[in-house]
Amino acid sequence: MINKKLIRELLNESACSHNEKKKSSCDKPKPGATSGGCAFEGAQIALFPYADAVHLVHAPATCIGASWETRATPTSWEGENNVVMGYSTDITTNDVIFGGHKKLEASIEYIVAHKNPKALFIYETCVTAMIGDDMDNIASRMQEKYGIPMVVVHSPGFVGGKNLGSRLGGEAVLHQLIGTKEPQEIHPFGINLIGEYNVTGDMWQYTPILEKIGIKIVSTLAGDGRIENIQMAHSAKLNVIVCAKSLITLTRKMQEKYNIPYISVSFYGKRDTTNAIMSIVNAFGDAQLIANAQKIIQEKEAKLEERLAPYREILHGKKAILNTGGNKSWSIASALQDIGIEVVATSIRKSTLEDIEIAKEYVKILMKNPAQEQAQLIDEHQVDLLLAGGRSLYTAIKKRVAFVDVNQEKKISYGAYGGLENLAIDVVRAIENPVFKIVGTKAPWEQ
Amino acid sequence: MSTKPLQINPIKLSQPMGALLCFLGIKNTMPLMHGAQGCASFAKVFFTRHFSDPIAIQTTAVNDITAVIDGGDYSISEAIKNITAKVKPDLVGLFTTGMTETKGDDIKGATYLLRDRQKMVYVHTPDFEGGLESGYGLSIEAIIEQLVESRSEMDYKKALLIPNVNLTPIEVEKIKEQIDSFGFSSLALPDISLSLDGHLGKKQGNLSSGGISIEEIENLATSSLVITVGNSVANCGKLLQKKNPNITHFHFDTLSGLINADRFYQSLMEFKHISKPTPNIIRWRKRLQDALLDAHFILGGKRVVIAAEPDQILSLATSVTEAGAKIQAVISPTKSKALEKVVSQKIIIGDFEDVEKELTNADLLISNFHGERLSQTHKIPFITRGFPNYEQIGNNLKNDTLYEGDCYLLFEIANLLNHHQASHL
Repeated sequence: MINKKLIRELLNESACSHNEKKKSSCDKPKPGATSGGCAFEGAQIALFPYADAVHLVHAPATCIGASWETRATPTSWEGENNVVMGYSTDITTNDVIFGGHKKLEASIEYIVAHKNPKALFIYETCVTAMIGDDMDNIASRMQEKYGIPMVVVHSPGFVGGKNLGSRLGGEAVLHQLIGTKEPQEIHPFGINLIGEYNVTGDMWQYTPILEKIGIKIVSTLAGDGRIENIQMAHSAKLNVIVCAKSLITLTRKMQEKYNIPYISVSFYGKRDTTNAIMSIVNAFGDAQLIANAQKIIQEKEAKLEERLAPYREILHGKKAILNTGGNKSWSIASALQDIGIEVVATSIRKSTLEDIEIAKEYVKILMKNPAQEQAQLIDEHQVDLLLAGGRSLYTAIKKRVAFVDVNQEKKISYGAYGGLENLAIDVVRAIENPVFKIVGTKAPWEQ
Repeated sequence: MSTKPLQINPIKLSQPMGALLCFLGIKNTMPLMHGAQGCASFAKVFFTRHFSDPIAIQTTAVNDITAVIDGGDYSISEAIKNITAKVKPDLVGLFTTGMTETKGDDIKGATYLLRDRQKMVYVHTPDFEGGLESGYGLSIEAIIEQLVESRSEMDYKKALLIPNVNLTPIEVEKIKEQIDSFGFSSLALPDISLSLDGHLGKKQGNLSSGGISIEEIENLATSSLVITVGNSVANCGKLLQKKNPNITHFHFDTLSGLINADRFYQSLMEFKHISKPTPNIIRWRKRLQDALLDAHFILGGKRVVIAAEPDQILSLATSVTEAGAKIQAVISPTKSKALEKVVSQKIIIGDFEDVEKELTNADLLISNFHGERLSQTHKIPFITRGFPNYEQIGNNLKNDTLYEGDCYLLFEIANLLNHHQASHL
């Protein structure tokens, strides 16, 4: 059953600063003027990276038919990789009329018989919420029968957007997985990485550094994650929220329940990566750990600077405008500045109040209506590069500036020190590419 | 028929997604999906990645409150209000999802109430029924029934092509050109060759970037000929004839393969009382004859597995069997009469788990991009066709149809098989 009280509570998260003023991405969507995914997608984003669990979507065709094998969240799990699989009960008219519970039960039995998952996540969606299948009951019976966790995620799309869905995913994990297994020993510097999904392997850019410093990654939610580890997440000493505010409720509740403090960090760009690492070690306050971190950071930064040098020469004095949403409005801006680019303006059209506050620290001009503002700003500031979504491509062609599609599915990691070099390479390639000028030439019959 | 209770790695795509593609082929249109915001978002991302172009769509964004107390009127009229505050669409294509059909919303009534504010077409496309092909076909039927005006007079130069959902933008354009070469000025309903063909447009606007216009649609009943291609749109031709019984209807299950292309041209020749098509068509037939002969050395006896929408299965199977390949199995997400015409050892309604079982003794897999991982595991050559294709660009300009397209398809397959053989010696 969908828990209305829980949803209200998640939407009014006390740890979110914007809730004082009441304007956030958690508001109800407006018919005919809404973009962005639903709660199910948010739950999917948060939990699908657990490769050792089967993710069964109790729904008709659209929910998973259009969305499986789309997110580049790699895993080191050596068993069958469930991240790239799509499991659906494929609800039909018959199920809508007579109920889908039998099909769900049979599907779970099929999965247990043919696969060997460490757990099952079972997602409730719009249609199955409306026909009222008692999924909790089925899951708890099946869990007892087969002895593996069966976690129902109540995430029908109509309850809200992606952000809420991620929160609902976090709630399911908190109540049904965390604390269900005890570790053999407790590491003094154990952390959980929350909201890090390891997109394009971003996480792997910095976890080896953390480990070298002496920090243990107890569990992740859910990049390259393992069910067994998240079951022991309560034994960590610190929760680290990575570039995402959606799971702040989870970390707040873990603080209340398990006394685990939390910090929020970003691993995009050199400064932010260094800050993130220092925030983690400072939270522990251990002198040796801090010394380790300082030493390793120094090495890493020096190496990075060496590798960035040739790109810096090309990028020196280049100006860019950034038109994207959410935390990218400042995290990418920061990374661009780290490779020597002047970020003239950034869009805050789709940002929360928190993001706007942070963006102010990085960029002078904040565009509220980028579609109209950016063309003029390109002229005024003689900008060299526009980083935006596909819709702005024509603006770049018309203004004859280089273009980077920042909203396209990333194929390569821009995370941490290693990823910053990738970003520099991509930006240099865009700036040096003649394609934007060639495409912008007029046809002979237009002269 | 797969007997599993669930789908593991589905091939199936939903009816509303088919409806979306149809409305994107109507000029200056806003496709409006009646459901929770996620359905529209998933579909938008899916086709944006497939076509590498922006996709216009809006949602009625049904939420937990409107899901219960609204019969559809409120969220639909709010959506129209908010859409028209920003853009002026010539048409709003309203189509449902599983959720709003479970509620049983009266979209006809909601559309009727808004008739003075916005021209609309409504269609019922729950995603717990049918699939991509039926969603596309039902939308064309709704457009014909709700927009096309009844006529008795005819324009002998006007012909209408009704493509199935699997035909790419360039294929639609090529078929139109072939029809035009018989002295027609043809239209396509829908016409994605003018919207999803991957052209650099001045405005990457919020509405469909091109397609058949509303005025053209309203006057379609003066067509002298309607050509339907694909079993999933066969009924659309009959519906158009109801608007004007004088219209001639030619139906082809597919235009793939030499024999089917011959039938297409022969029908047009007979209709126009012409004894010979243009020299270009004659030349392309000879090229295809040669291509078939060149390809048959490589394709002959090869065991092919195809997973696709039913109409596309028939097209692909026809092409490769003409060059001597054997169809080991076809796996379709839904039932269709098109499958009855496929010559295959096995015809399965299923998913990619079923596909994988057929790969142990196969020489070639043709499917959407999800087959790529399987083909790598089983080390067999792989050709990407159908939705989605996230890995490759240029999907909008891939031509497999009629004499010319068939040549390209056969070459692509033969070259791939050759390369695979050479690299595994």
